[in-house]
Amino acid sequence: METLRPKSIDELAEALREAAGGGKRIRLGGNFTKNRMGGPSPAPDVVISTCELRRIVEYDPRDLTISVEAGLPFAELERIAGEHKQMAPLDPPFYAGATVGGVVAANTNGPRRRLYGACRDLVIGMKFVTLEGKLVSSGGMVVKNAAGLDMAKLMVGSMGTLAAIAVVNFRLAPRPPASRTYASSFSTLAEAFAARDALLRSPLQPVAIDLLNPAAAARIGRQGYLLVVQVGGSEAVMERYARELGRAAVEGESEAELWRRIREFTPEFLAAHPQGAILRISSTLSGLKQVMGAISAPIVARAGTGVGYAYLDDAEQAARTLADATERGWKAVMEFLPEKPPAGLVPWPAPGDDFAIMEKIKRMFDPGHLLNPGRLYGRL
Amino acid sequence: MIPQEAKRELAAIVGPKGYLDRDEDLALYEYDGGVDMARPEMVVFPQTSEQVAAIARITAKYGIPMVGRGAGTGLSGGAIACQGGVMISFARMNRILEIDLENERAVVQPGVVNLDISLAVDADGYFYAPDPSSQKACTIGGNVAENAGGPHTLAYGVTTNHVLGLECVLPDGSVFTTGGKEVDLPGYDLTGLLTGSEGTMALVTKVVVRLMRKPEAVQTLLAVYDDPEDCGRTVAEITARAITPVAIEMMDGVLLRMVEEATHAGYPMDAAAVLLIEVEGLKEATEEQVEQIREACLGCGAREVRMARSPEERDLLWKGRKNAFGAVGRVSPSFVVQDGMVPRAKIPSTLRFIRQVSERYGLLISNIFHAGDGNMHPIILFNKRRPGELQKALRAGEEILEHCVAEGGSITGEHGVGIEKLALMRVQFSEDSIECMVRLKRLFDPEERLNPGKLYPTHKGCLEIRQPALRPGAILY
Repeated sequence: METLRPKSIDELAEALREAAGGGKRIRLGGNFTKNRMGGPSPAPDVVISTCELRRIVEYDPRDLTISVEAGLPFAELERIAGEHKQMAPLDPPFYAGATVGGVVAANTNGPRRRLYGACRDLVIGMKFVTLEGKLVSSGGMVVKNAAGLDMAKLMVGSMGTLAAIAVVNFRLAPRPPASRTYASSFSTLAEAFAARDALLRSPLQPVAIDLLNPAAAARIGRQGYLLVVQVGGSEAVMERYARELGRAAVEGESEAELWRRIREFTPEFLAAHPQGAILRISSTLSGLKQVMGAISAPIVARAGTGVGYAYLDDAEQAARTLADATERGWKAVMEFLPEKPPAGLVPWPAPGDDFAIMEKIKRMFDPGHLLNPGRLYGRL
Repeated sequence: MIPQEAKRELAAIVGPKGYLDRDEDLALYEYDGGVDMARPEMVVFPQTSEQVAAIARITAKYGIPMVGRGAGTGLSGGAIACQGGVMISFARMNRILEIDLENERAVVQPGVVNLDISLAVDADGYFYAPDPSSQKACTIGGNVAENAGGPHTLAYGVTTNHVLGLECVLPDGSVFTTGGKEVDLPGYDLTGLLTGSEGTMALVTKVVVRLMRKPEAVQTLLAVYDDPEDCGRTVAEITARAITPVAIEMMDGVLLRMVEEATHAGYPMDAAAVLLIEVEGLKEATEEQVEQIREACLGCGAREVRMARSPEERDLLWKGRKNAFGAVGRVSPSFVVQDGMVPRAKIPSTLRFIRQVSERYGLLISNIFHAGDGNMHPIILFNKRRPGELQKALRAGEEILEHCVAEGGSITGEHGVGIEKLALMRVQFSEDSIECMVRLKRLFDPEERLNPGKLYPTHKGCLEIRQPALRPGAILY
């Protein structure tokens, strides 16, 4: 099968136009680190990768914004911003291989979203190429922009089913001078949530609040319900947190290693479980408690945001858990699928009443259903 | 023209006290905070989403244009009935439906006043972050339409970052919901697409917003300068020190004197510019940051840095800022306010450019802006009785916005495109980009009946029916 790696945005436009014109089914991506994500996609006629589009388009650290091409590895973006003590704190999984475009298209977010927001918040502008080969821009290089429709929002989380992201502009955040992480184990779910609730009600402003159930904690060598809280700021602020949160904090290398394991929980699980699957359950801060009470498989939860990730060892168990979650009225998808998904699996069981409009949008951009078909959780 | 039969059907939905159609009543709805005027043929006041849907179905049957309206405070003409038709006022859909502190959410109707959300949760220690200057009057529905900002959006983000779900009515009367209290829902982010679409794609009948925990400490400083460009350097220096204030507002000397005469906020009358800077957060953080900011200001040429010592002093400093446009109105009966965005580092050069424009056109331009994020609001003063001066002021404004785009910025940061900036859309966006926007709009509104003549620079705009008849104190672009 042919794999195209356009070296310029013009080449990307040409590749898309030509493939679409020939009615070819296109698999679009960056480094394809997340092949099991989203849905079973039929074999493509052509693969188009943006991995050779890796220029820094614009970066003036004084503006706290950066514009980069979609194929730039996310880690490289963070390294460049880090040289100026700045960061794009999305903490996406598959950190080492993922490209900027892939992170944004898949809307993969991480622990620090509690304070800094997710892809939809940090992306301030975008250029994308349609199947007609047209370059469309949305937003810009300023942190506030009310000009025109915010079309970049459509591309965030679209899994490459609408158009090819070519350039992404981010707002950056200054890196706090110091950082600490408090990891505390609780023997019951109720105690862990009581501690989280106290934190949320306090004036403290943690960067991240993650909660792992015992099955998940065990996988990273910990035990019990593990509440992991990151804080950032000056030394005086660190002292305040030490007074308030008491228990021993980790910092430096061991802090980075703890968060690396949480961030990479998903890729490490997938590598170890070819027939495993991961559910993403979008809940609320309070609803998360029911979710974690009902599922005994490993769960890593963004406990300050309300999103839980459940890790199921085999396809059947995953499908059952998804059906059960849907029956309970939870908003769940199978985010990552088994390598050989069971026939008839629909990773997104219950779209809402806005789905008809989503279908119209898909048809507008891709009337022939050629671009990453099925990649949006089997539905689009 | 709305057929009599359609009027009767619309009246039947909202009842005899739920609509206006006499000319003298409609005249009150022919303008908003912008300059353009156009009279609707009927204003209806629905009280439920079902009524909004029923109204839409009738307009669909008769092919009548519709425009939604909140408090009419918008500055870009977004809430006027360009092509007549039915105006849907959300004034009576003003209930807070649910406050869910446990989940940091509130569910509100579109006619709820922005500030009322914060007031409703204030005693519990929460607030709703986006705070447009009109927040005592403007409604959440209007904020969603325009993706409104405000001084404190520097740290907290704008409306789109705080709206998580919508209930919407399409022009054909069908109803759908997007998003919800939860995040990361699968599918395309329609909430994000609709926020800022200026009421051209759907009528919003319910909004899920994020509530935030109120910070423990707030510190407000006023830095006084003899050279406005030093303000721009200060902003860069604060950024370089890795401090993110919640607000950095700049006012130049011209504006300062007008504001001081109107509000007696205690601003120095002889300064060339001031920065109003606010930090929020933990007590320990704000104490340190205030010291750092003071150093930065003095190091960048501030002649004096004052600190608000009490909540009253803080309120007084903000009173001057938030009432600035009223203060200008006392001095000059007519003025144009721009809403240009530039990257932060381009603030000093843009200030220079604005001064050149002022000299070239012989018009007084004063500057007030959200300096922290590069959102410039130059105010162009003019005398409408002098023939041609309005056109000159508008042209000067356009030149400033063109400069903003050339510097990598935008023609609007928080007011929206509306009517005045239609032509400038082509300065900022390519034909392909505009075409993509128009096609998306038509998916929602194929007959182009919803808020026609706004946002998209198609040829069907209402520029030809624009009436440049300025009221005293009118705010224009």
